[in-house]
Amino acid sequence: MKIENTKAQMRKGVLEYCILGILSNGDAYASDIIERLKGAELIVVEGTLYPLLTRLKNADLLEYRWEESNAGPPRKYYSLSAQGRAFQLELKGTWENLNNAVEQLTSTPS
Amino acid sequence: MNKTININLAGIIFHLDEVAYEKFKTYLSNVKTALGKEESGEEIIADIEARIAEIFNLRMKETGAQVVGLADVEFIIETLGQPEAFIDESENEAPKSSSKQTRRFFRNPDEKVIGGVCSGIGAYFDIDPVWIRVLFLILLFFTGIGFITYVILWASIPEAKTTAQKLQMRGEAVNLNNIEKLFTKVEDYTSTEKIKSGVNSFVSFIVNGIGSIFSFIFKFIGVLLAIAGAMIAFTLIVALLGIFGSTWNLDGLNFISLNGYIYGLDGAEAIFGSGWRLLALRAGTLLTLLLPLFALVVFLAKIFGRELTNSKLLSFSGIASFIVGLILIFISAGSLITDFRERATETDQITLSGMSFDITADILEDEQGFFFDVEDELLHIENVRFNIEATRSSTASLELKHAASGRNHSEARARAQSFDYPTAQEGEALRLSEYFTVPKESLYRGQDLKVTLRLPVGATVYLDESIENIMYDIRNVQDMYDGDMLGHQWEMTPEGLSCTDCATIEYYDADDFEESIEENLEEMEESIEEKLEALELELKKLKDR
Repeated sequence: MKIENTKAQMRKGVLEYCILGILSNGDAYASDIIERLKGAELIVVEGTLYPLLTRLKNADLLEYRWEESNAGPPRKYYSLSAQGRAFQLELKGTWENLNNAVEQLTSTPS
Repeated sequence: MNKTININLAGIIFHLDEVAYEKFKTYLSNVKTALGKEESGEEIIADIEARIAEIFNLRMKETGAQVVGLADVEFIIETLGQPEAFIDESENEAPKSSSKQTRRFFRNPDEKVIGGVCSGIGAYFDIDPVWIRVLFLILLFFTGIGFITYVILWASIPEAKTTAQKLQMRGEAVNLNNIEKLFTKVEDYTSTEKIKSGVNSFVSFIVNGIGSIFSFIFKFIGVLLAIAGAMIAFTLIVALLGIFGSTWNLDGLNFISLNGYIYGLDGAEAIFGSGWRLLALRAGTLLTLLLPLFALVVFLAKIFGRELTNSKLLSFSGIASFIVGLILIFISAGSLITDFRERATETDQITLSGMSFDITADILEDEQGFFFDVEDELLHIENVRFNIEATRSSTASLELKHAASGRNHSEARARAQSFDYPTAQEGEALRLSEYFTVPKESLYRGQDLKVTLRLPVGATVYLDESIENIMYDIRNVQDMYDGDMLGHQWEMTPEGLSCTDCATIEYYDADDFEESIEENLEEMEESIEEKLEALELELKKLKDR
């Protein structure tokens, strides 16, 4: 078992939650989302994100609208749908529980 | 001066220099292959293209350059990442199941000599195409089948154009690793070639050769069955055209080879002469053969998955050429009918000396299973019928009655007179022949020859085995079949020939007879033994009492 694989899988697991989290604080371009995730070292390359965004959009969790850009072609401006917002809240609960559980299990017993 | 290539990304035109373009094209096609199986693959690709356009645009503005260079493309790849990373394997079961790719036949455009058929077959079987080429060459030189097979395969197997098809051709899954392997293969190839150049390469060549021969044999058997099926279909169609086919020597499809072509001339030329009729017949035969040939191509193309854009044209021209061919054949054959209108007979009498004859016949060697045969500008015709009859005359004689057809009586007569029948008497030996010859120019016009030996009563004759083929219902007192009459001595009586050395036992097979006697004896012995045993038992019983 390779440590890299495990790390990548851990990151992948929380990636969807993080995207929904970023968008819950306000609408964003794909490139904005990428910048934030890159900054947090959750993703290394941009390519990973485009299929993920499309999947979330196809699942009706995200919506988008076209915005003109002076840097090039029009961009997709993403926002959470009502369904996405509910989804994000539920994941938030799950994440907090999970976080607590992991914390308790892995911390040295006092 | 460097060449630039224009591309359109998300509606924006970019100029790429040649090196950058090649790299970018490969990268984008890899991305497309990676995402092609995704549900909304096209949408994702459009998003990515838009992003690339954005980055290119920004960099152009920053540097003020007009042309996208290799560094820009490398930056894109670095930023977006390798396409393998794009797909989340756990969510995508589809690519895994399709990794068990079935092989498909493709022609290989990258390693082709003529049409890429051999290297395609080689790729399919995982063996060096050289072996396939050798096989085709052997087939070409020995029978000519190699040529027609190659043409049919060329027409029906699709060419591997896309990267995916090239992978399918080798039976490899269409995924990114394999695509990359395919692209780097060219460089690998040259480096491995260098390593092979030592003595080791010779050994490995032999080992690989043996290995590939075995794998070839196994896989080839399967394909051979398929080809045999197609061949059977093909020959069946050809057999339907048997009437026309018989003007060629269709023995083992040999008519295609040069050899067969020359042999095939004999039969056709003997009937059709060498003028326009023969030409029309031959062209007609070829044209009629195009239809099954085209049908075979269409059929195989369906199997190999080639889309024939002009299959309608193919079937139309096939049917059209079939009809034209039939018309040509009918015109050619029809024009012959007038050549058979009149018939004339000429009779020669040869007086024989002596009262005792030993009859043998010259047998035509080098038979091609054909009625006639051209040799030294002569037409050998095997159409001789031999009979023996009684005569009131005191001397034996041989009657040669030759008949032939012609456009008019004088032509038929001239033809009947131009016979040459080799026959000779030397003491008792009377030599006949199972063929007669006519000049090649007189053509085959229904010539036949009736040879009648007329014997006075009391004359004797011995029939040699060699006359079997020309005997025709010779009357005899014993009422024996022609074949049974051979090898015996006969005497002419007023009722016909009578056998003088045929024992009655001769009607049975001597071996059978002997066997049945032996069997009878054994049975008798057994029954006697059984009876003896029974008697002994009864005797014992009596004694016991």
